[in-house]
Parts: sequence; C-alpha cells; structure tokens
Amino acid sequence: MAKGSTGRADIVVGGLFLTVSVVFFILSFDFPVKRAGLSPTIFPGFVTAVMFLLSAGLIIQGARKLRSEPSPAEIRPSGLTEEKKMFILRFILLAVLGIGYTRIISKAGFVLSTPFMLAGAMLIFNERKWYRILLVTVISTGILYSLFRIIFRVPLPRFDLY
Amino acid sequence: MYAVLEAIIFVFHPVHFFFLFIGVAGGIVVGALPGLTGSVGIILLLPFLFYVEPAVALIMLSGMFCGAIYGGSISAILISTPGTPSAAATLLDGYPLSQKGEAGKAIGVATIASTTGGIISVLCLIFIAPQLARFAVRFGPVEYFALMVFGLTIIASVSGESLIKGLLSGFFGLFIATIGMDPVMGYPRFTFGFTNLLLGFPMVSVLIGLFAVSQIFIQLEGVGKPQKAFNQRIKNVLPNRSELKRIFRVIIPSSLLGTFLGIIPGTGGAIASFMAYNEARRFSKDPDSFGTGNIEGIAAPEAANNGTTGGAMVPLLSLGIPGDVVTAVMLGALMVIGIRPGPLLFEQNPQVMNALFVGLMMAQFLILGLGLLSVRVFPKILKVPVRILFPVILTLCFVGAFSLSNSVYDMMVAFIFGLIGYGLRKMGFAAAPIILGVILGPIAEQELGRALIMSHGDWSVLLQSPIAIFFYCISILSVSYSLKSGLRKRKKS
Repeated sequence: MAKGSTGRADIVVGGLFLTVSVVFFILSFDFPVKRAGLSPTIFPGFVTAVMFLLSAGLIIQGARKLRSEPSPAEIRPSGLTEEKKMFILRFILLAVLGIGYTRIISKAGFVLSTPFMLAGAMLIFNERKWYRILLVTVISTGILYSLFRIIFRVPLPRFDLY
Repeated sequence: MYAVLEAIIFVFHPVHFFFLFIGVAGGIVVGALPGLTGSVGIILLLPFLFYVEPAVALIMLSGMFCGAIYGGSISAILISTPGTPSAAATLLDGYPLSQKGEAGKAIGVATIASTTGGIISVLCLIFIAPQLARFAVRFGPVEYFALMVFGLTIIASVSGESLIKGLLSGFFGLFIATIGMDPVMGYPRFTFGFTNLLLGFPMVSVLIGLFAVSQIFIQLEGVGKPQKAFNQRIKNVLPNRSELKRIFRVIIPSSLLGTFLGIIPGTGGAIASFMAYNEARRFSKDPDSFGTGNIEGIAAPEAANNGTTGGAMVPLLSLGIPGDVVTAVMLGALMVIGIRPGPLLFEQNPQVMNALFVGLMMAQFLILGLGLLSVRVFPKILKVPVRILFPVILTLCFVGAFSLSNSVYDMMVAFIFGLIGYGLRKMGFAAAPIILGVILGPIAEQELGRALIMSHGDWSVLLQSPIAIFFYCISILSVSYSLKSGLRKRKKS
C-alpha cells in the first residue's frame, strides 16, 4: 500500500474524477424526469455533483501539499531506479497477459489457454525453474478444471476453431 | 430450545462441518500469509458458495472471517509481518518473544486469547443482534435510506488516508452502482448501448477485482525481494498455570473492549487491538516489559481483534451495515448468495441465524484446536513461494469470476477493476468504501424511491422520522469527527 500520495498524484487523480463527474453529470440530464417520486436522473445527478465537489477538494488539497513538497528532481535526481523500471515492465506484462487471457480463452478454451497464462504469470513473478512452472501449470489447471467443470458443472470455455 | 438443537444438528452434519472446517482452516492460512487478508479470502471463497446452501455458505464465510483474524497473528509472531492489519499490535510482543526461542508459547497465548475473545464476542452477538433487529424491524423506507447514508459515511470517514479520499471512494462506488437500469423505473443509465451494462457491473467481479486482483498487482512490487522465513524449532505451546492466570486478567476486558468497538461501525480489529494493547500496558504491574516479549502484550490485542468479529457482525446482521472492511466484503458475499442482511433476516430465516450462531461458536473451538495442534505447520505455510501462490490466485480469480454467470465479460470486468483498484490503492484510496457504495447505492436509491412514492413526491418526508434524523446526525458527527482529527493530524505534522 502507498504510504501517502504526493500532491501531484492527488491533483492528477482529482482531475480524473472531476472529468468523469462533469461528463456523467451532463449525461444524466438525458434521463427522463418524473413529476412525483424519484426520477432516474436524480441519484446519478446528486452522486456526480458530490463527486465533482470532492474532486475539486482533492485538487486543492493536492495543490497545498505540492507547495510543501520537494520538487520531483530533488526526490529522484537520477530518474527511475532499476527496481522501479522492472516493476513497471512486470506490471505492463501482467496487465497485457490478463487482458490477453480474457480475449483468448473463449476461442482457445480453458484447458489450452490457462497453462500459458499461469506460466506467463509465474515468469513475471520471477519463477525461473522450468520444471516447477510445468508442474504448477499442469496441476493447477487440472485441479481447477476438475473442481469447476466436473464437480460444479461450470461450462468452462472450450477450444473453438470457428 | 428445539431450534437451537436443530441448529447444532445442522452444523454437526459431517458435510456442513467439513465446510466450516475448510472456512476456518482456509481463513487461518489466508490470514497467516502476508499479502492476503480476510477480505481476499472471502472473495476467493465466493465462487464456491453458489454450490452450497445459504446457511452453509454463511457459516463457511464466518469461519473464514474468524480464522483470518486469528491467522494474522501467526506471521506477526514468526516473521514480524502482520498477516492482517489487526495483527499489527500482536507483533510488538509476539515477535520479541519468538526471537527469545518461545515462538510456540507466543502462538499458544495468541490462540487461547483469540478463542476466548471470539467466544465472548459470539455470546454478545447472540444476545445483542436479535434485540437490535427486533427494534429495526419497524424501519420503513425513510429510516432505511437514512441508515444507508449512515453506513456509507461512517466507513468512508475512517477509511483511506484522508476524509476526502474516503468519501470520494464511497461516491465512486455509488457512481458505479448508477450504471445499468435504475432500480425504480428500470430506465437504462450510462449503458451507451452495451447490453452487458444493462444489469450494471457484476458485483462479485467488482469485488474480485478491487480486492483480490489489485492485491496481486501490489505483490508485484515485492518480486525479487527475499521472502521472510522462520527456521527455528517450535516447542512448548501451552502456557503454564501462572501464565494462564496472568493472561486471562487481560483477555476478558480486552475481549469485551474488542466486541464493543466491533459493534461501532467503522472501527475494526486494528483500532481495537492497539487500544487493548495500550490498556493492558497501562494497567500492567510491569509496563516496561511490554515490547520485549510480554505474554500479556500478545493476549490483549489478540483477544480484542477476535472480539471484533462477533461485534462487527451485530450491525451487519441486524441492520445490514458492515462494521469494518471484512464485513463490508462479507455483506457483498451474503447478497450474492441470496441472503440480505437486515432486521428481516432474523424474522424470515431464524434457522439460518441459529446455524450461524452455532457455527460461529464452533469456529472458535476449531481455531483453538487447529491453532494448538498445527503450530509446527505454520512456518511451512509461510514458506509457500509468492511466485507460485499469486499466479495461482490470479487464475482462481479469473475462473471464479467466470463461474458466476459463465461469462468471459465478468472475467474482463474483474481484471479491469483490479487495475483500477490497484491505481486507487496506490493513491491512498481505500477499496472498502467503493464496495460499500456499489452494494448500498442501489438499496439507498430504492428506499429513497419508495419513500418518495409513499409521500407523493414530498421530500420533507426524509426529515419527519426521529430515527432517520438520529442516523443523519450521527453521519454528520462521524464526518465532522474525521474532519477534526484530520486537521489535528495536519497541525501536528
């Protein structure tokens, strides 16, 4: 967990939330209005309006923090460390692997795609022993398949050529 | 009496008891493993709960909850890394004692204290929750709406690194809940023509993403760093008679303190354990020995954090609002398996509630048995390599999300919410208020809709009930209190 975010990060996240709240607040006006009772527009309108105020508050808080913080150049004079670079690379790889798995599984099926996803994730988590990767992928895929497909009768995706 | 007997027979049915055992043992393992918390454990359990009857699912979930809180102390004692936030106070004396070669005794004391704390809190739950539910059964839509507002503000105001972030997380959750058909008219909102979005985001996938998948991304930060291990031999688990006398002097008040704090929504085990630790030190004859391996310093926080388990279930079961992060996740889990916590639960499902009470009590004895008998297994659990554990958990998250409605879309939602959750957690936003917003948002909107229909569109109805006004007042009080303490902290720093 983060020990505490920087002012700059607060401003960026606040800005993101602010944009989302403004866009969806405007979109909420398209919903029908009822004369009595609760219209579909009221709740989203209220939620996005409060989100807007809170995001603005976060941006102000971030700006205040920023004033008392040392500049980024003072904190990281030599740019990203090797460790940080490796983390970013691993993060991107895992994100791509996860999204790729959700795209491929419906075509390749659970049995074919899961061992690759598991092996990929183990490599990202720095497992280098091939026999261990092989063992874990085969055993885990087997256990999960037996549990969900055979016992719970979940129709896990199958290999589908067309 | 017959109902209690029926509940005992139900829990002791070999299959049901097996599920309870799996819940408790799984909870201990999940709690002991740094990086996995009770919330993650409950989420990983979710896909399996669909295949058992609700009462069994409920006792399994509660077993996991209690087991995880206790399990957190194991890694705190053995490797100075609390498995759950509520075990942070346990390491202050637990780790020094284990460094003196008495890890067995430290775990033994933690086990006895946890069990006693758990038993006391379950007894309080049994006596308090039905009374509170009996009172709350009179609630109408106006009071329910006020209660939901209270539930949202109180958790938001104590979660995260700042009040703004806590509230923003809660409102972000409410915003997510507005996507899909509105609960009053059924009008599609923010769906942009996607049929998948008509029913909103699947709650379980959101839960899996925000808690479990985001945790896997957090674990990526530690890749390459050496994993802590405990390599000593564990012996002498049970404390002697004089030590037992000493620890019971702190266990009883700490358990009651933990139970009381657990009942107050938004407090949780971490606060209770530190408060109990401080009180134990304040009243100790030898306060200077705290921090050097004093067994009272282990017993007090452990009794208190397990005391919060039953306490936190009081508002969850009787009012439908969670007491802490884990019960917030549990609320989501219960809704998924078709149990809506609240006053009607006691009226409509008395058998389920009785089974829960007996199951919870049994869970404490299972903790005692497992804790004392498998003490030599604990160091081995801590040796499970992260590079194997988390990829397997990621796969389980994917399969779990898929199994809920046999849809790859749910897997995608879980993964995307994992990425969002990771980003938000890194920026100091807590996941619990988001989940609360997602869960309580539609209920709050539905109750508000009902109240307005009954009043023919008159909004002043929301302020005509003294109970509702009471909830609004304590909501304002909790937010102002957090605002004040935040300002005080800033002044200090």
